[in-house]
Amino acid sequence: MRPNQSQVIGKYLVLGVALVLAIAPFYWMLTMSLKREVDQFANPPRWLFFSPTLEHYYEAFVIQSFIQYLITSAVVAVAATAAALVLGTLAAYSLARFELPWRLDRKLSLWILSTRMFPAIVTAVPLFLMMRDLGLLDTRLSLIIVYTGFNLPFVVWMMRGFFVEVPRDLEEAAMVDGDSRLGALWRVVLPLVAPGLAATAVFCLIVSWNEFLFALVLTQTDQAMTLPVGIAGRVTQYEIKWGIMSAAGAVAIIPVLAFALAAQKYLVRGLSLGAVKG
Amino acid sequence: MGKSRRSFNASRRDIIFATLLVTPALAVLVSLSIYPLLYSIQIALQTDGPTGPTWNLANFRRLAGDNFFFAALAHTFIYSIVALTFEFVLGFGLALILNSTIRGQKVFRAALLIPMMIPAVVVGVVWRLMLNPNFGAVNGVLRQLGINTEQLTWTAAPRLALAAVIAVDVWQWTPFVFLVLLAGLQAIPQEPYEAARVDGSNALQTFRHVTLPLLKPAILIVLLLRTMDLLRVFDQIFILTEGGPGFATETVSLYIYRAAFRFSDFGYAAAMSFVLLIITNLISTVYIRLLQSREDVA
Repeated sequence: MRPNQSQVIGKYLVLGVALVLAIAPFYWMLTMSLKREVDQFANPPRWLFFSPTLEHYYEAFVIQSFIQYLITSAVVAVAATAAALVLGTLAAYSLARFELPWRLDRKLSLWILSTRMFPAIVTAVPLFLMMRDLGLLDTRLSLIIVYTGFNLPFVVWMMRGFFVEVPRDLEEAAMVDGDSRLGALWRVVLPLVAPGLAATAVFCLIVSWNEFLFALVLTQTDQAMTLPVGIAGRVTQYEIKWGIMSAAGAVAIIPVLAFALAAQKYLVRGLSLGAVKG
Repeated sequence: MGKSRRSFNASRRDIIFATLLVTPALAVLVSLSIYPLLYSIQIALQTDGPTGPTWNLANFRRLAGDNFFFAALAHTFIYSIVALTFEFVLGFGLALILNSTIRGQKVFRAALLIPMMIPAVVVGVVWRLMLNPNFGAVNGVLRQLGINTEQLTWTAAPRLALAAVIAVDVWQWTPFVFLVLLAGLQAIPQEPYEAARVDGSNALQTFRHVTLPLLKPAILIVLLLRTMDLLRVFDQIFILTEGGPGFATETVSLYIYRAAFRFSDFGYAAAMSFVLLIITNLISTVYIRLLQSREDVA
């Protein structure tokens, strides 16, 4: 079956339309962040020709507190990812390698996965009350704790998949050479799954960076707000500052884009919780 | 070889070691998901009486008579079913069209990542800008095409708002369906296709008897993950319409959020969240059954 010319042209046409639809809205936001008000409200819309300005970026990140939201988002994402990786990798190794009595290893794996299926709002209500009782409302720590729990099931499932792919003979050889089981995990197995570990970390970072509902519920003031909550606060105010919002939105997507491109190879696997190995 | 090659034959020491490795993660998950759920049951079933809190079903009785809750439930179902249908059909179609080596595939994949990887809040911002009736790009382009946009106020129009937020979801998540199904298609070996060709199957027969059955696991997983996400949708709608205009785009998650965090009505919010939890559990159980029955046959 040789594809004829019109089929090929048709394919590229579909591709082109999909590409424009995916990209154009972002381009529009980017232009809005760089336009003076005259150009923002121009009719017909100005896609290309306007005199660019950085005043909205200056306003958001120097005069208003967006730089602080940015720092909070980064601190929370990195801390929650690190904690989830340590706890989740150990658990994943155990569940991948050992048969526990009563097939507990399989049951635990499924149960861990099921905790990720809860709608976020179901746990948001009691977690808010728990954090209030602990005096942790409006702190970065509360978000780090909640996001660690959020990321854990994902880490366990991803890393379990990667561990299963490592032949166990390698560890047994290391143990014959005098390594302890933990030593074999550290020196032999972890280096082999390092790319998978990195991809898993990237996914946790993205999820934590993007999370909105818990951050909205658990934080109230500038000291603990993340970037999404800061942006949302500007949207629902009486007067919407389109330029500031667009500038903050444009900055919020930069790290995510960089990470997503870096982890592209494992993307499908990560997005399907390890079920489809793309 | 034991019954499973991946596992060590666990001795008692190994079992202790394995348990030690799992325990910290389990402790965190129990305190951040099981304990909150139990806590939630408690606040849903307790109401303040004259002699302190009493256990009763007041919150659930109230829920049964709350028309707003059922309206929010209806919006959530409409939103989920319509969005899922469009995302699946468009994503599957794109995957089938592009399931062949073409030039520029990498660039295309990378570009399609953008909508689904970025914060949902930013998606909301982007589309508020696009759909603004006065200076938004959508109406701007329509006006340039000579279309009267006076009636097209999108998220501000009661009749259009739900369609608009659904369209935004389709825009954001069709790439996800596409990418997973494309990966599934590319994992199918060539032999069954050659066998079908030898048997003289036409394209439609090959699709029905070779492609669909082999792709079924990937299809079910994509549908499961999307359904779970759609039923709890919150972020984009919060930014785009905040449930409005009026009540037109209020979903269950938004309604629960409002009850708990605007009106401090935690017991009622907890009761409603249980209904949502039971619904999502029932649906995910159906999907998982379908997935498992598939594995038993294979």
